[in-house]
Amino acid sequence: MGEITEFLTLMIPAMVPFLLAAQGTVLSGRAGVFNVSQEGLMVLGAAVGFLVSFKAGSNTVGMAAAFAIAGVFGLVLAYMTTQLRLDQFVVGLALYFAALGAAGLLYREVIGITMEPPLIPTLEDKPIPLLSDIPFLGEVLFDHDLVVYLAFAISLAIWWFMYKTRSGLAFRSIGENPKAADSLGINVTWARTWSTVVGSGLVGMAGAYLPMVYTGLYTEGMVAGRGWLVIALAFLGGWRPHLVVAGAAFFAGMEVLALRAQVAGIGIPHQFVLMLPYVATLLVMVFAFRWARQPSFLGRNYDRESRLVG
Amino acid sequence: MSETLTAPPAPPAEAPAKRPSRVAEALWLVIPYVVSVVLAFVVGGLIIAAIGRDPFAAFESVLTTSFNTRFGTIETLHKWVPVLLCAYAFAIPLATGKFNIGAEGQLLVGATGGVALGILWSDLPMIVLLPCVLIAGALAGAVWAGIAAFLMTKFQVNEILSTVVLNFISFQLIDYVASHVWPDRGAGHPATTPVGEGALLPGIGQAPPMHTGVLLTVLLVIVIAVFMRRTSTGFEMRAVGANLRAAQVHGIRTSRLAGAGLVVGGAVAGLAGAIEVAGVHGKMLEGMQSNFLILGIIVGLMARGSMLALPFIAFGIAVLEVGAGSMQRTAQVPVEMVLIIEALILLFLLLSDIARAKIRRS
Repeated sequence: MGEITEFLTLMIPAMVPFLLAAQGTVLSGRAGVFNVSQEGLMVLGAAVGFLVSFKAGSNTVGMAAAFAIAGVFGLVLAYMTTQLRLDQFVVGLALYFAALGAAGLLYREVIGITMEPPLIPTLEDKPIPLLSDIPFLGEVLFDHDLVVYLAFAISLAIWWFMYKTRSGLAFRSIGENPKAADSLGINVTWARTWSTVVGSGLVGMAGAYLPMVYTGLYTEGMVAGRGWLVIALAFLGGWRPHLVVAGAAFFAGMEVLALRAQVAGIGIPHQFVLMLPYVATLLVMVFAFRWARQPSFLGRNYDRESRLVG
Repeated sequence: MSETLTAPPAPPAEAPAKRPSRVAEALWLVIPYVVSVVLAFVVGGLIIAAIGRDPFAAFESVLTTSFNTRFGTIETLHKWVPVLLCAYAFAIPLATGKFNIGAEGQLLVGATGGVALGILWSDLPMIVLLPCVLIAGALAGAVWAGIAAFLMTKFQVNEILSTVVLNFISFQLIDYVASHVWPDRGAGHPATTPVGEGALLPGIGQAPPMHTGVLLTVLLVIVIAVFMRRTSTGFEMRAVGANLRAAQVHGIRTSRLAGAGLVVGGAVAGLAGAIEVAGVHGKMLEGMQSNFLILGIIVGLMARGSMLALPFIAFGIAVLEVGAGSMQRTAQVPVEMVLIIEALILLFLLLSDIARAKIRRS
């Protein structure tokens, strides 16, 4: 296998947690809800996904459970921001703490303290017939586990919904001007609620993918800031699902590069190599914030009775 | 417009005379906290009961550990210092409307700055070395936050993201310092060699002594309160946080102030790192930032803009955190329970605003 083929083959699965979580963030963000609980939801998703997979013996059930639990947190966020109009950042941070606590509590309660950490089977590669036989492309794109295909399908579906359907247009208008959307009969509260629930669920799934793909075990620090990078990714992609895919490729590429450089031992202390994805993120944000635009009502609650904004 | 500039977040003592009464005002301020804490403990108790443990035994050890023994009290005070300083690191930039999620990184880089001088100049007498260590810590923290401030003011990079990303860079940085620059091979855990005698904060009382960083922190509390209340910069910072557009109309240079808020916050977090080195560990080690970022944010959010409330809330959180360990030992309830209770307190506190508005309207 060539160097480039191998790099790309590793990069595609590494994109998945970024893709799922960032598309979830973009989905609720375009309706104006700025979720900042990703890091916590990913940790909780990883813990719940792992535990349910371990107990039920099925990674699919584990994924679904991670989606469901993170969706519940999304529902709380949506209710508190759309109905009670509490500050989105503050509620998001509170949910981040709660999710982090819940993740640790659940793992400790179910597994306890063990000498040998329990393992779950990692996801199997399911090559797509015919397509995976294409030289180079087949190996890179069509020989992965099912969640990889799912993540790309979800990205495509969200893009198609937002840009190719009438209701998607209405949906996007909420993030730009909820008052105008409301006056056209679009249900702002409902759109924000479902998109936050589904979006948070996707973030939870992104977390659950981590223990299922690499090592088959859950460790406390395994999310390692990806939840925060996901927010950077949403900004970087200008809150557009198709550009987010490109951004996810960048973040995943950095991650794989750092890991491979660490293994290869290139003479630089490995700590500096591991800094690479974060330093690159900072540098890229310098440019991203210049050209990328965001929904103009992002992070602001809508009060239909207020005459001040909108 | 001047109303919006001066009104929040005024404590009851300075409230205008037209308000109902000072007693009622103080009650409105305190009752939400009491109700939120009680409710959070009730919900937390239900969760503890649900996992088959005794909530009363758990809460007894959470709430009494800090006061039962001298050791518990000292530990609580030692925990209070970094929690409070990280809360300031969050709350000072928040006064200008900026979220600093990077206190952990600023603390670690501050610790690195402190430990560097403590090791390099280890022969100097305390009177010279100790101030140098503390100042180096604060400066290093300020520089680290300064990167985020620079990116924010020059390139409009969102400060939430840059401060978080800098945390992860700092983890690698201290790992490098602890394993390559001044490694302590015998520690069995990435840590630096101990700092010189003169870099250690003197202790008060017999073993276990309380380090004088606690007194230093009390002093800092006063300085910050005076700064925010009595200086024009402090006033401008609060004005920017209260109403950005109004502040701009009045000619306050908002972006520069917001940057300054971040740098000051970073300096305070860096000082926390230096105090941890000089007072608690005597060296820098991985994991020394424990949960201080999260706790600092919780305290900062609970204080809701009041710099005066911070020290008291931070003390309450320190009590819970020290109690958490003993709760796990005596009642077999995982320490994470305390984090859930803290998140619940915060959420109930937010909800109390709505309840209060409803009650006042009726």
